[in-house]
Amino acid sequence: MSNASELHTAHDAGLVQCQVCGNLSKAPAHLSKYDVMSCPRCGARIKRREQNNSVEVTWALLIASTILYIPANMLPVMSVYMLGKGQPDTIISGVLHLLEAGQWPLALIVFVASVFVPLLKLFSIAFLLISIQRKSRWRPHDRMRLYKITEYVGRWSMVDIFVIAILTGLVQFGNLARIEANAGAFSFAGVVVLTMFAARMLDEHLIWDISRKEEPAA
Amino acid sequence: MNQSPNIACPECGQLHHYRPIAPGQTAFCTFCGETLYRNRTHMIDAVMALTLAGLILFVMTNLFPLLGLRAQGQEQEMHLFGASMTFWNQEYRILAVLIVLNIIVFPLFELLALLVVTLTIRNHWESSFAIFLYRWMREIKPWGMLEIFMLGVLVAVVKLGDVATLIIGTSLWSFAGLIVTMTAASSILDPFTVWRELDKTHKVKPHE
Repeated sequence: MSNASELHTAHDAGLVQCQVCGNLSKAPAHLSKYDVMSCPRCGARIKRREQNNSVEVTWALLIASTILYIPANMLPVMSVYMLGKGQPDTIISGVLHLLEAGQWPLALIVFVASVFVPLLKLFSIAFLLISIQRKSRWRPHDRMRLYKITEYVGRWSMVDIFVIAILTGLVQFGNLARIEANAGAFSFAGVVVLTMFAARMLDEHLIWDISRKEEPAA
Repeated sequence: MNQSPNIACPECGQLHHYRPIAPGQTAFCTFCGETLYRNRTHMIDAVMALTLAGLILFVMTNLFPLLGLRAQGQEQEMHLFGASMTFWNQEYRILAVLIVLNIIVFPLFELLALLVVTLTIRNHWESSFAIFLYRWMREIKPWGMLEIFMLGVLVAVVKLGDVATLIIGTSLWSFAGLIVTMTAASSILDPFTVWRELDKTHKVKPHE
């Protein structure tokens, strides 16, 4: 393995790596801005560092999901009609109802999945983007772990949408008892989907690239 | 040693040489510690068995009712597909489509793709189609949300528990089994090995 240490990364060796299948291929000598390269093995589009716009796209998605986060929490996500009387519930009031009923483990699950995780995602993606833009070399391993956690945990926010889907599907007893979905659910699903795309668009290699670049030179 | 490095770490891009490892062993990146590849005995056979079991469970899950609710002499039943239809009926069409994709289309695609991939590797078929499927399976993976839906079922069951009588449908059990088989299949399967095997029978190689 000794001569491999001369060439540190695929990028240094003039190779590009497919993000999907990991295949290495030779980088073309010249690639203009709008040229698209695709992987010779799996056909996926290969993103090149020079034309990487992942930071901008991720910011755009992040800002959009932050804006959607407001109606997602202000508007009711569902309404429970009991004997004709309706009671709209936001995400927070749903958690509070569970707490009042003494079901705190359930309240905790819903709180973590629907309030804590989306906020964590918004803040950690913003933090990672800023650290990349400032070319920070601070703890790349930990930032990578933060990225991994953010990417993994984001999907679980969908649990609230599924709960609403199941409740509205089951509780349809006309005037006696009925549950309806409201616009808040729609914006909340929007937040989850957009932050998932944001995490996917963020090129995590940028975290390593910057922190590595200066090391051999020093 | 004059052979050029042929693996880059998927996380940090560090270059490595591929070296065969003993069964049961795992190769890690020397720079960031990410798993590069694993050697598992009977990996393809195990995944194929789990995929076939998963397909049977998938059909069962979609045929039988998932949950039922009884209140004041009335009974309401819900199938897996029905969970998304309520959003459709309330004019949240995009949300309904999203849920159908999350809990039906993407998991089914994953199962079928795994079946084609394992069959292709076992029988040394030409692999273009399997490569196409496996690529998209990997891209779509985070959007299949069976296990999250299951958590949603549990939350809903507890919420409704003291309001009405719940009927646990047959398909809840096959649904649980489906989640177990799919999780097992994807944790057994080593992507590096799959790509390496698929590449061996890939006819089109423009960059040779």
